[in-house]
Amino acid sequence: MVFKHDVVIVGAGLAGLRAALEVAGNVDVALISKVYPTRSHSGAAQGGIAAALGNEEPDSWEWHMYDTVKGGDYLTDQHVAEILATDAPRAVYELEHLGVPFNRTPDGKIAQRAFGGHTRDFGKAPVKRACYAADRTGRVMMDTLYFQAERKGIKVYPELQMLDLIFKDGQVAGLVAYELATGDVHVFHSRVVMLATGGYGKVYKTTSNAFANTGEGVYIPYRAGIPLEDMEFVQFHPTGIYGMGVLLSEAARGEGGILRNGSGERFMERYAPTIKDLAPRDMVSRAIRTEILEGRGIGGKDYVHLDLTHLGEQKLAERLSDITSFVKIYLGIDPAKELIPIQPTCHYMMGGIPCNVDGHVLGGSQEVVPGLYAAGECSCLSLHGANRLGCNSLLDLVVFGRRTGLQIGRDLAGLPWQELPRNPERPALERIRKIKERKAGEKAAHLRSRLQETMTLRCSVFRHEETLVQALSEIRSLEERYGKVVIDNRGARFNTDLLDALELEALLGLAEAITVSALNRKESRGAHSRDDYPERNDEEWLKHTLIQKTDGEVRVFYKPVHITRFQPKPRTY
Amino acid sequence: MGRSLKFNIFRYNPEDPASVPHMETFHLEETDAMTLFIALNRIREEQDPSLQFDFMCRAGICGSCAMLINGRPDLACHTKTKGLPEEITLLPLPVFKLIGDLSVDTGTWFRAMNEKVQSWVHTDKVFDPQAPEERMENQLAEEIYELERCVECGCCVAACGKANMRPEFMGAVAFNRIARFMMDPRDQRTGDQYFEVVGNEEGIFGCLGLLGCEDVCPKDIPLQDQLGLLRRKMGWQSVRHLFSKLLPE
Ligand SMILES: Cc1cc2nc3c(=O)[nH]c(=O)nc-3n(C[C@H](O)[C@H](O)[C@H](O)COP(=O)(O)OP(=O)(O)OC[C@H]3O[C@@H](n4cnc5c(N)ncnc54)[C@H](O)[C@@H]3O)c2cc1C
Repeated sequence: MVFKHDVVIVGAGLAGLRAALEVAGNVDVALISKVYPTRSHSGAAQGGIAAALGNEEPDSWEWHMYDTVKGGDYLTDQHVAEILATDAPRAVYELEHLGVPFNRTPDGKIAQRAFGGHTRDFGKAPVKRACYAADRTGRVMMDTLYFQAERKGIKVYPELQMLDLIFKDGQVAGLVAYELATGDVHVFHSRVVMLATGGYGKVYKTTSNAFANTGEGVYIPYRAGIPLEDMEFVQFHPTGIYGMGVLLSEAARGEGGILRNGSGERFMERYAPTIKDLAPRDMVSRAIRTEILEGRGIGGKDYVHLDLTHLGEQKLAERLSDITSFVKIYLGIDPAKELIPIQPTCHYMMGGIPCNVDGHVLGGSQEVVPGLYAAGECSCLSLHGANRLGCNSLLDLVVFGRRTGLQIGRDLAGLPWQELPRNPERPALERIRKIKERKAGEKAAHLRSRLQETMTLRCSVFRHEETLVQALSEIRSLEERYGKVVIDNRGARFNTDLLDALELEALLGLAEAITVSALNRKESRGAHSRDDYPERNDEEWLKHTLIQKTDGEVRVFYKPVHITRFQPKPRTY
Repeated sequence: MGRSLKFNIFRYNPEDPASVPHMETFHLEETDAMTLFIALNRIREEQDPSLQFDFMCRAGICGSCAMLINGRPDLACHTKTKGLPEEITLLPLPVFKLIGDLSVDTGTWFRAMNEKVQSWVHTDKVFDPQAPEERMENQLAEEIYELERCVECGCCVAACGKANMRPEFMGAVAFNRIARFMMDPRDQRTGDQYFEVVGNEEGIFGCLGLLGCEDVCPKDIPLQDQLGLLRRKMGWQSVRHLFSKLLPE
């Protein structure tokens, strides 16, 4: 079938919803989402949303901007960080106005708590900047915005998965999508496509991300020739539940939780003397891996402890109830009495589709791709630089989701309907047919496990030329084997077997982009830490990586970093 | 070695005229820290790729994976096999439209419910980007949050005697939503307006008081309290309605 809407937004997480609310009413907008909208992964966000409200102690947007830049190890484009920090209070007040039940201070203002890397007075001490609703901030924001979307009657197509973008003469003309319930392939004809498809943590074996986070929304434009930016910067969150990867929010440390090694030592005192357990995530994850590698894990094993025992039952129940409950359920441990085994888990992708501050997607020569927009975790505004600070993503989603929506409204008059090319769904149908008809080969689930293991082993917290080269050669051989991927289920309805196989193409392509970008960056910066190049090297590497597919090859090139207020300095905490 | 688990799983494809509802048996060796969600994925990967069930976050927050587990509605992702007998029977949630096997469509039901109760703050105040937030007692904010913790998994609806008999019955989840907005000073709806939504047989007066809802809520939301509260408030409201009809100004 062919559906027609002026604007189609792919992804109904917070970025997509926030943009849709801005566009709705003036033009015909539809959301498509591979999962039912309120199941989107934004709902999993726990800890909070950052804004220098100064409700608990003095704070300023300049400190917030500085922390964002320093947290990103100076790879952050500073004009973007400035927009984020200055617009943050408005964004949070707006959420409050819409009904988000933020916790409150004794005098009734929005309560705030400490979070990693957020400091007062340019790094002097931790500051309370994260606004929160217990440990459920993302879910209550999602529900609030989704109900607003219902109120506005925004059309939603649930369980539809984008398979291709359609271009005509360099302008977006729509997209091709697969309907899970029927197996039908549909065409969406539109003047604007906005990508808000979130992260792709499923490239790794141990991850806090959900199952849908397989990255087609980033891979599809990449396959179509649009470059990707800063892909080597992958955030590993320090506190994933050992063995499962499920996240224990940084709020646990924001509320006073402490990391301890095998001998019970509070080891972060050695790595970040000023802000200790509240250092940025890349540093804490490296510290944990170092403790483990040097034999100071718990019982010499590959995990350390998160200690919440001193917080008391009441605080745990009031501020960290969800994570307390799932530690009890999954580990059978009572955090009020026992220590929690944790290890770093792949959490967030700093890299993605290059965009400007109004959500325009940028092509290989920095030109705006007409009709194509992106926001949220799938995009790369160069806001989070080489390492994102906690609570800056939720903020990013509502600030830049809104800006993108506004910009789409402004641009529409200049974006005429493009005629659809003939049979735009044919390439997608061909891919599906080939997979369904193949009789012998390997299962996607098997290849995917191999890929995830390789990435977790060779391209995670610490990297080295040798491991990266190995990773790359394994990825390429898996790509070859992918040419013979088979499925057992040839049915049409809810064929997850087929989806697994289709999604694997994206995972492989993105894993390759991450690894090639990591191999090329011969320095250590933020989340990208090379054993063979342990120092940050501003002279040669203060620049953004771009990687682009050109006739089967990949091309790597660079673009400068925007520096406005803060000159790069050594990054200590 | 782990226990050998026997799964009896409901199979049916309502779209296929040749399909008949039946139970199918699968065997799996129990592993350490196995959840039902891990077990189901293994069955799908190793034994039957056509098995349908829903899952997403595997951390009890997205609400996708509710099903009847040995007769009781719960989330598959946070149910450990360790706490279950060797024989485990899995059925899809009742009330909701069956998509296939263990998968049901909760989304359409919830969207309709939320539209009915108009799950958003009704206010004529226009957002002023220059102004700071409106003040609120933390106690009240926490009470609102407590009711906002619903993940729309559908367990309470599935456990509701009334909803099983009369699908148009709104169920505890709707009353919980209403109670949440009634409590919120930002919402300017009047008692009468709420009454119009829930003061009827499809709503609060249709509840049989069996209280299956609260027993099964995987998030332990105090649904019973909300029911009691709403009934009392709405009871008064209905008396007032009656009087205003009997004694027009
Ligand atoms: C466990 C966890 C806790 C977190 N806690 C915090 C926190 O406290 N504070 C903070 O700031 N950040 C936090 N983050 C990060 C933050 O939540 C995410 O970065 C953010 O929610 C991403 O939002 P999004 O709108 O970009 O995408 P998502 O919310 O992931 O939504 C993506 C949408 O795209 C759709 N989609 C994807 N691919 C396709 C396709 N091919 N076709 C159709 N639809 C598609 C999906 O269905 C979904 O609707 C956390 C992340 C995790 C994993």
